[in-house]
Amino acid sequence: MKTIKSSVKFFIFILTGLILLITSNIVGELQVYQGSYVLTYGVAIASIVLLTGYSGQLSLGHSALMAVGAYAAAIATNTYGVTPGLAIVIAVLASIIFGYLLGSVVARLSGPYLAGTTLALAVSLPTLANQFSFMGGEQGLMFDVGTPPSRFGESFSLYKWFFWICAVAALVTLYFISNILSSRYGRMFKAMRDNQLAAQLAGINTSQLKIMAFSISSGMAGMAGGLMVMLISGVSPSAFPLSLSFLLLTGAVVTGVYSLKGVMLGGLVLVAMPEIADIIALNVGGSDRLTATLPGFLVSALLNLAVMFAPNGPGQLLNRSHLKKKLGKEINDQK
Amino acid sequence: MLKFLTTLLISLSTGAIYSLISIAIVLVWRSTRVINFAQVGQATASTYIGFEITTRTDNFWLGLLGAIFFGAALGAAIDRYFMRPLFKNIKTGPILMIAPVVATLGLLGLIESIIGFIWGLENKIFDAPVSTVGFTIGDTVIAFSPFNLLILISVAIMMIFFAILFQKTNVGLALRASAYSPEIASLSGIRVNSIRTLGWALAGGAGALAGMLFVPSASLYPTSMSVLLVFGFVSAVIGGLDSLFGAVAGAMILGFAINFAATYISSSLVFPMTFVMLILVLLFRPNGVFSIRKNRVDK
Amino acid sequence: MIRNNRMKRFSIVSSAVIVGALLLGVAPATAADPGITAKEIKLGMSSPIQGDAGKVYGKLPGAMKAYFNYINDNGGVYGRKITLIHRDDKYAPTLAAKQTTQLVINDKVFAIVGALGTPTHTLAYGSAQLAAKKIPDLFVNTGFSGFDDLVKYPTAFTVLPSYAMEAKVIAKYIKDTPALASLPSAFIAQDDEFGKDSTKGFTASGYKFAVPFKDTFYPQGGMSLDRAKGALTTLNGLGIKLLVLNTTADVSATILKAAESLKLEKKFTWIIGSVGGDSNTMLFLGVSPATIDGVIAASFFPDAKDSTDPYIKQFMTINSKYNKGITFDNVVLQGMNTAMLTVQALRAAGKNPTRAGLIEAIQTKGSTFASAALLPLNYSKTSHVGYNGYWVGQLNAKGELKPVGGTPTIYTTDSKSGPVVVSSFKRAPLPKNGIPNN
Repeated sequence: MKTIKSSVKFFIFILTGLILLITSNIVGELQVYQGSYVLTYGVAIASIVLLTGYSGQLSLGHSALMAVGAYAAAIATNTYGVTPGLAIVIAVLASIIFGYLLGSVVARLSGPYLAGTTLALAVSLPTLANQFSFMGGEQGLMFDVGTPPSRFGESFSLYKWFFWICAVAALVTLYFISNILSSRYGRMFKAMRDNQLAAQLAGINTSQLKIMAFSISSGMAGMAGGLMVMLISGVSPSAFPLSLSFLLLTGAVVTGVYSLKGVMLGGLVLVAMPEIADIIALNVGGSDRLTATLPGFLVSALLNLAVMFAPNGPGQLLNRSHLKKKLGKEINDQK
Repeated sequence: MLKFLTTLLISLSTGAIYSLISIAIVLVWRSTRVINFAQVGQATASTYIGFEITTRTDNFWLGLLGAIFFGAALGAAIDRYFMRPLFKNIKTGPILMIAPVVATLGLLGLIESIIGFIWGLENKIFDAPVSTVGFTIGDTVIAFSPFNLLILISVAIMMIFFAILFQKTNVGLALRASAYSPEIASLSGIRVNSIRTLGWALAGGAGALAGMLFVPSASLYPTSMSVLLVFGFVSAVIGGLDSLFGAVAGAMILGFAINFAATYISSSLVFPMTFVMLILVLLFRPNGVFSIRKNRVDK
Repeated sequence: MIRNNRMKRFSIVSSAVIVGALLLGVAPATAADPGITAKEIKLGMSSPIQGDAGKVYGKLPGAMKAYFNYINDNGGVYGRKITLIHRDDKYAPTLAAKQTTQLVINDKVFAIVGALGTPTHTLAYGSAQLAAKKIPDLFVNTGFSGFDDLVKYPTAFTVLPSYAMEAKVIAKYIKDTPALASLPSAFIAQDDEFGKDSTKGFTASGYKFAVPFKDTFYPQGGMSLDRAKGALTTLNGLGIKLLVLNTTADVSATILKAAESLKLEKKFTWIIGSVGGDSNTMLFLGVSPATIDGVIAASFFPDAKDSTDPYIKQFMTINSKYNKGITFDNVVLQGMNTAMLTVQALRAAGKNPTRAGLIEAIQTKGSTFASAALLPLNYSKTSHVGYNGYWVGQLNAKGELKPVGGTPTIYTTDSKSGPVVVSSFKRAPLPKNGIPNN
């Protein structure tokens, strides 16, 4: 059963990759550019799903974790002349190490204390980059991913090349994570999340598990950071502000923080929302003030609505109406 | 010597401002077990109301009163019409921890964009009610003015007021009971929902006071207080979210650490110092410096 | 089996989502130069409206749109209307990069104009591939001298004099004024390109401050009133008598207010750079007029309150008609001036402008464009540098910047180690009604 399952899953991922490949050749530059962001955000949101949805630790510092990966990749190419592909691998490794260290320190903190620490981290880590000149200071570092391999020809758009890299990275990462989460580790995470004491009594080493979750989650965030550096062609201290952490959390909650199913949808929401808000603002007309504040208003409103009515993810909305019908039928039957 | 004295005095000032926010955060936490990230947004909104009143009547105190009333009303409204329905929908699981955080973050964004729409994004300012020129000792003017003194006195009054409220009154007892164990509290006849709304109202008023006292030294625009969110929250965590005394103490500790580091080492340490202080405290006292309970089982 | 289905559903859902999103957009055939039709020219701008920088520079796009609308009402550019598409980047480099890329591939603008900020635009320039796509990047709104590097930013044209130039001019002014040259001094600045570009200039000029730079730099957002009090007390204790500020206007206001609260405002002689010397903002934020009186400031424009100046008067008129409710100040002046330069650039590119033609037009004819500034424009085939100097004046209690001794002395220099010289440049007269006819 297991072998069939994993080979079918593998096939599904390959198939998805092919679909993305074909699509990227049809659509225009803008779409692949935005598609790359969807994929990148999707990976970042997946890291939150792992850390918060599965291992139950709320972190507000994912922007800092992405920054670690981003700077690692940029420094690797700038100071050491590493090729961009390898740089992203370095980004992941650096973030895993950082996540491990961070996790060892904060894993024993509960709820708001963990949130507060990660919040302070998110705010102060970027300013550290300002201090050291090899990190480029306020200016930041450029990241030149070069041109697409020449065998693709002259007209192969750089943005399409980005999209391919993001797609491969995202698919590999998600495949890896979904394997972990459907394995024994996934079950242990969920047990620990639902009742830490009971899990400990059942023999699970919760602090080790939490640190492991932190490390993997950081690695994923670091990969997302590395991909972002590529998309932006550079990194600077203010590239990963606290508001990014909030944005990712929003994406995770809106599409369901408990499962990986919604992460790409979450990425799409994060990319599409500002665009949609801008379009609405433009069509509604009105003052400059309106166009400036409307996008923020719409995104926050969406978040609030999602949290109010479907805090466990959009699946809950469907389940509820389904449940109501079922319950209603049962009650009627009993009358 | 003057440098040391000045750093001391400005640390007191900074700590006082931070404590106004951390008090509000602890108030909400103590009475409803929620970390309210929207606190600074509510404070800013209330300060805009205060700004309108002050500018029209040329009287800071009227504006202050108006801001506090508005802040309390806004806080109560948010609990009644937003947080309460939210909690009805979520019962268990980690979502119980995340949903309020995310919800209050969303609320913050909502408030900031509404403020920006109504009043615009430019700087606004109003004057302090008392002089901002420092006291003169001998022939030196020190870095402590009547306005700084006013802020410290306000913090002290707030602390005394809330200490009396929480420890010596029935309402205070009800507030603490409802936060700690809502089921048992309601069994003993406490109207838990109304009590929680009261907690939010008190915090909203405190936040309004914070805003009105903050703006004269800075300026007012929709996100002018968001820098205080981090400092206020970290102060509250350092002090241990249990007590108001901890909130003020945590704020003072942070204020001192930041200003001494910035003056004597480098002014770029303002933000990193925040993180370092937090890590140091949490490494040795995971529940905050002044936390009463050492091994609290978190719900 | 259930797991299988779940995984299947998951992968299919996600790829469907992405594919659907991608297909929803259509890939249009690309014209020779996007952004220009028989009736319209689309220009793109990325600058902050929200956030800290937004409250200082938020007025910029509105001012530019006001001028463009005025021109549109008067025939446009050879019959084409100018549409300025603005995207808010909140002064965040990543967002600026994204927004500029969106302007290029989504809004398909003809050229970028008035991009604001160094950390923002240095990132955005590369990210949006402006060089590879040969998109003109007109009149960048920043004083960073690095943008004149023709290898790194081949399509960019600066307009504002650089911070390095400003520092050299101020250094010369201090050295040439005996009363100032003898004072021990310190330089307070933001610890980013804003401050660092200036230190380049001071070093090149050979002027020495009594306090090392790193001791008086602060992070953006990190200069509160309390911190300012601490800094001023320390500096006063060290015997510093002259303070040069390279800060944003709200921070110079904070520092001056801190001085007032310590009664130190008259103990220092103040020199404030052009960015922070916006007296309007400082007075508005509560600095007392007595403190502003006597502050030395540098500028390259005539004073924004000087309604006897023909350019100022014309811009004020346009402002009250097309930019209702906005007070005319340095920022509005800057916006309208840039817009006027843009119109002249488009006109110079001929009746059927191309992107390459636009760049060439500025290179060959840009130095003759009419503008409000008292400094010359230095565009040529080998230089994309706009204004290259400053005049130094003193603020009075009303916040007006007046030249010391009646007529302003115009200093010009470069961003490197060239000398500071007095220039006899006389600016071109205002075109009739402010409508260019080049």
